[in-house]
Amino acid sequence: MSVATPFAIVGVAAVGGFLVAWLERLVAGRPSPVPVLRSIAVTLARPIATPPTYDRWLFHLAPSLLLLAGLVALSTVPWAPGFRGIDMESGVILFAGAIAYVTPAVFMAGWGAGGGLSVVGGFRFLALMIAYAMPIAMVLTAVGAPAESLRPTAIVEIQESVPMAIVQPLAVVLFVPAVMAVALLPPFDIAQAPSELGGGAFARYGGLEAGIIALAQRVLVLAVAGMTAALFLGGWYGPLLPPALWMALKTAGVVALMLWAGRRLPRFEIDRLVSFAWKVPIPLSILAIAWGGLVTLLFYR
Amino acid sequence: MNDLGTALVFWPTAAIMLATGVYVFRTASMARAGLLLLASLAVEGLIFLALASEFLGTLQLLMMSGEMVLMVFFMVMFMPDPGGLMGMDMTHDKRRAQGAAVAVGLALALLAVLTDWPAGTIDSDAVDVRAIGFEVMGRSMFTFLFAGMTLMFTMIGATLLAKQGGRHGVGPPAGELRDADGEGG
Repeated sequence: MSVATPFAIVGVAAVGGFLVAWLERLVAGRPSPVPVLRSIAVTLARPIATPPTYDRWLFHLAPSLLLLAGLVALSTVPWAPGFRGIDMESGVILFAGAIAYVTPAVFMAGWGAGGGLSVVGGFRFLALMIAYAMPIAMVLTAVGAPAESLRPTAIVEIQESVPMAIVQPLAVVLFVPAVMAVALLPPFDIAQAPSELGGGAFARYGGLEAGIIALAQRVLVLAVAGMTAALFLGGWYGPLLPPALWMALKTAGVVALMLWAGRRLPRFEIDRLVSFAWKVPIPLSILAIAWGGLVTLLFYR
Repeated sequence: MNDLGTALVFWPTAAIMLATGVYVFRTASMARAGLLLLASLAVEGLIFLALASEFLGTLQLLMMSGEMVLMVFFMVMFMPDPGGLMGMDMTHDKRRAQGAAVAVGLALALLAVLTDWPAGTIDSDAVDVRAIGFEVMGRSMFTFLFAGMTLMFTMIGATLLAKQGGRHGVGPPAGELRDADGEGG
């Protein structure tokens, strides 16, 4: 990690955030990037909103915390050999730790805004995340087992011949929906739920703060998709093309898949979603840990 | 990180940790109290990272977020005044509690400063590391699991009992009379 690292991460976040926003339009069948730029300009031209009844500190700290969580999560993603932000021995835990701060950020936004629907949005997300944070942490343990390390680059390196998604299919099936929920993507976007809560936790933000939230959401999508590509799809490994390009293509593919799924599936009800999470994915992720240990003993020793 | 860098991170973060910790008890809002406690404990995680205790630091950041968020959830759900708008006072027996807290705090601080801590680091394949691993995954594991299960059953039990109608999930809340036809009123 050098002095330039933070700048590189912010650069990746800014460019990647724009590309994710463009990909959203592409998936919707409207390929022009001009409206994305126009909506950025319109958002930033508006003043910062100050709703009449709100908890000022929580309301104004929430966007920054959301963006910080996204940036730290993004910095743990191994993009190519030698090109990653924070490469530490417990990098996967740092990733889980970073996205764990999305929950307080969304709750702060909803609670701070003080409107009925905003509080409901924040509280819903809290309930959802208590249930969905568990499978993420457990699946990360299962994926770390074959590499005998929680360092993301080490987990990429053992996938040179076989991607982890083939060895541990249950882990990837549990991981992707859970991280989609963290990244506030439909059909798990019950914190904002545009058609139902009218923006929910983020409804009352305006101007720069609304822009920060919009960027933070895209950065989160990029971070979780990048981590999915690195941990399950073999990261930068692939024939012919340079490593960084492979990683970028895989990440873009995962982002497109997540966005496409969001467009195809209806939004789930909060009570069904939470009850499902406690009864199915959490027990299954214990199974995923056992499976991870089994394949490690059989094939990776 | 070198000594100067560590010191530059350690002292400001320690100050923030203490300040947010104090403000937990200065606010009447459940949401603010819980989130301030989260801030305090997350900053403690940063201190671990600054002291090159990587695993503990990242684990502290991860676990505290989950736990404090869970606490905020339950506090807002169960407290009669979660926003702190009615000026509810949550403290009891102030004088003695403050005295005990200050005494314990001072004693711990003295202990931390006066103890002759071992300096230097050991390799990850040292005998001590192995011994700690066997201790944590062996004898101590039973205690951890038992504590974890107890906490979980307490939470589920408390939620069930607090639910309208008690653990049976039907009928009126405890203490209220039923209508003549047996339906909840």
